[in-house]
Amino acid sequence: MHIPDGFLDLSIAAIFYLMTMSVVGFSLLKMSKQKFNGALIGIVAAAIFAVQMLNWPIPGGTSAHFVGGALAGILLGPYAGCLAMTLVLVIQGLVFADGGLTALGANIWNMAVVNVFVGYYIYRALERTNKSVAAFAAGWLGITMAAIFTGMEVGLSSSFKYSLTTAVTVMGTWHGILGIIEGIITTSVVTYIASMRPDLLEGRAETAPGKMAYAAITVMIVLSPLFAYTAELVGYSEPLENVAEMLGAEEHPIYEGLLPDYTVPGLDPYIGTIISAVTGVAIVMGIGYGMRRYA
Amino acid sequence: MHELIERSIKEASQYFQNFFIHDYGRQGFLHMIDARIKLLGTFLLIVLAVSTFDPMKVGVIFVSSLILAAFSRIGIKKVLKRIWLFTLFSFIIVLPLTLSFRVEDLLYVLLFTLRVATSLIAIQVLILSTPFNDIVYAMRGLKFPKGFVSTLWLAYRYIILMFTELMRVMLARESRRMTKGSHMDLWRKGGESLGLFFIRTFERAERVQLAMRARGEKVVAIKGSFTRLDKIYILFMAAVTLWWMAI
Repeated sequence: MHIPDGFLDLSIAAIFYLMTMSVVGFSLLKMSKQKFNGALIGIVAAAIFAVQMLNWPIPGGTSAHFVGGALAGILLGPYAGCLAMTLVLVIQGLVFADGGLTALGANIWNMAVVNVFVGYYIYRALERTNKSVAAFAAGWLGITMAAIFTGMEVGLSSSFKYSLTTAVTVMGTWHGILGIIEGIITTSVVTYIASMRPDLLEGRAETAPGKMAYAAITVMIVLSPLFAYTAELVGYSEPLENVAEMLGAEEHPIYEGLLPDYTVPGLDPYIGTIISAVTGVAIVMGIGYGMRRYA
Repeated sequence: MHELIERSIKEASQYFQNFFIHDYGRQGFLHMIDARIKLLGTFLLIVLAVSTFDPMKVGVIFVSSLILAAFSRIGIKKVLKRIWLFTLFSFIIVLPLTLSFRVEDLLYVLLFTLRVATSLIAIQVLILSTPFNDIVYAMRGLKFPKGFVSTLWLAYRYIILMFTELMRVMLARESRRMTKGSHMDLWRKGGESLGLFFIRTFERAERVQLAMRARGEKVVAIKGSFTRLDKIYILFMAAVTLWWMAI
């Protein structure tokens, strides 16, 4: 499910970096307020990484491996679970080249945000009815949803020529079937821990998100394909410019500025953009330095 | 369950060879570059490679990445050996598009694969020339949050230990097994083993957390000015970017 570099358009990759940073950043903030237990998150992340190495045989001679997003959410709570899965994905990307660098934001979104939060919420919603059913549904639907989101991101990218329908159908169907294995493993582990050390599962209720955070993260997950769609639609230009082009409106600036449209008049547009970027950064840094020093 | 263990150990040993590659990696140009710049430089190369379908532009990044590998004594053969599988996978995914028998689709398939291969070369050159601890310290130097960086470093350090622990649990169960058992048995026993493994993980985490609190923890960050080699690397990256833009 790890998206390599080259499959996503940069605009979509950038949107998912932004959304991922906001959720992972918020998770870090929440964890630091709850006496950040780095050892627990780090070692559980290492354990999930190790479990992903296990190849479970499937009748017919093939095998599948566990992903563990929903389990991380159930065992650690959604914020710590999200962080643990993020660590796993960063190590996989930067040590094993498993998943691309530009696609890292999208990969974390799918497997550390969607998989963990969806899995966690499903488990919490169903656990009072039956813990085993809740764990199975969390594992199965968590991974299937993550796969569907992967399909949407790749399918919306113009770099990938297959249609959105094809990408989502292939990813969703395949992982919907493999997800049953994820569900069974999640159930086995949660049931065993619930019978041997129920205290490990009960403590996680304290780390549940508040109503606002719950609503915000849910809205972000639900709307993320729309964000990806609009990012693809807008591309690298200003949304207002696209609207103006659609409406046939023309630009009549009163004052063009020193660096009109982030270019230097008379120079190659690319070189002009770089000069504009360096100038802009220097001005912002200068103001920041001045404010720090004199304000 | 022996089949499960054998397969997993085989898979893991192939996967984990990345951990040890730094020990026998030769000291070349890239090995001596500041990890902060290398991290940003790799990101830049990948962004340049995947933001276009112009064959010349992708080709420039492809060649530049190979030049970096060659100058760093990493060896182009070693890099290609590590990227061929993912590259082939990407090629096979888009291959059905050639059934339209149109030249542009054929070109797309080739360019798509070249973009993926180029990105993979760039990241492999980084991995083969930079120990992960340097990458972590570089992240701290680039102002990534301290809690995130320290936990990332901890997770990395414990991966092999946790895998060994997992194998111990599985082998102990296997050694007590008297009959071959069905697929259902395998799943049930496997699930119990994993449950036990996660309980042990929690217990280990509690011990480690207490030890860390007792003696304190510190994440080192790479700081300081750049060397002459770092500046040469920056110039190389600037030249590649300008070349990419000028085409």
